[in-house]
Amino acid sequence: MANTETALKEALTIEGAVGAALVDYSSGMALGTIGGGKELDLNVAAAGNTDVVRAKVRTMEHLGLKEDIEDILITLGTQYHLIRLLKSRTSAGLFLYLALDKDRANLAMARHQLRKIENELEV
Amino acid sequence: MSTPTAAVSPTLTRLAEERATGVLVRDHGALYLSDGQVVHAESPAAPGLDVLLIAGGRLGRTGWDDAVARAGARREVGRFLVDSGQVTGGELELCHLAALHDAAFFTLGPAGGPTRFRYGVAHWMGSIRPVPAADVAREASRRRGLLEALWPYPGVDTAPLRPAPASPGASRRQRALLALADGVRTPPAIARVIGRPAFNTLVEVRRMAAAGLVETPPDPACTPRARLPDWVPDFSDDPDIALLRRLRDALEASL
Repeated sequence: MANTETALKEALTIEGAVGAALVDYSSGMALGTIGGGKELDLNVAAAGNTDVVRAKVRTMEHLGLKEDIEDILITLGTQYHLIRLLKSRTSAGLFLYLALDKDRANLAMARHQLRKIENELEV
Repeated sequence: MSTPTAAVSPTLTRLAEERATGVLVRDHGALYLSDGQVVHAESPAAPGLDVLLIAGGRLGRTGWDDAVARAGARREVGRFLVDSGQVTGGELELCHLAALHDAAFFTLGPAGGPTRFRYGVAHWMGSIRPVPAADVAREASRRRGLLEALWPYPGVDTAPLRPAPASPGASRRQRALLALADGVRTPPAIARVIGRPAFNTLVEVRRMAAAGLVETPPDPACTPRARLPDWVPDFSDDPDIALLRRLRDALEASL
């Protein structure tokens, strides 16, 4: 298992990545962040996106959908925000959050790489 | 960076500045510092690292006890667990960070009593991933703000969890907590049973209290209610017939 720092560093090497965070979605705490900067406060993004995840989990329960959320994509004018929920027993309740520059990113590739990072974090 | 730390604990700010090593003890827990950074935290209210790791399923109680017995004296329990292949470095780090911020939140709480510091003390866990004191303090104050925003009644954090008579609409996570509410267990006790951080349980409990799914105990510290202004009892005893008529008419019209 890679440690959080290695996983985040790898996330930042994804084409177009501007920032990434590993977030505990019950507490809203970022266990680690990388990139971001002045335009994107990743600690604020981490706390706020826990509400996004929680709302989706609740909606699925209301709909009676007994499936896990793999990832959530939010498309902005100039950015993609990808949220990938982790599933192992130790990392249950965590998600990887990745902000991408829309012009430079390849969405399919980014999702694939994020899945790979998740696997490395969990093995 | 020093502002949030100072607001939470001026002593912690000073110790971080002088790059102190030792243990900071308050009424609800202890923070272990090494070179001014927080390397470990413990609180009776927060499940320990052992509880979180064992709940993760990879490590058994005997494995933990064995590691403490064999590597505790040289303060390298964390490294021993990884080197002996019982947990991976990543798992240990994630659980350690969760346990550290959880215990720090309770230790640094308001009304935590006097702060004492013993220089030179190190924890037997050893260093896993040191966290800057300012980050720990900032996170503790963010957590307090989050609980306040969800439901500003701290009484629910420490009282036995009591489900409201009817509690439909609870999420799966919340139902799991409600199932453990036996009228005796407090939220921290429930956190220990499920092997999750106590703060995460407090967040769910405050959400449930706000939604009316669990009872909020009366706040003993709450100030007596404000008295009615003096002019209220001065109203005449005669009912306002015109107003009652209008009310009756309106009710009839709406039926």
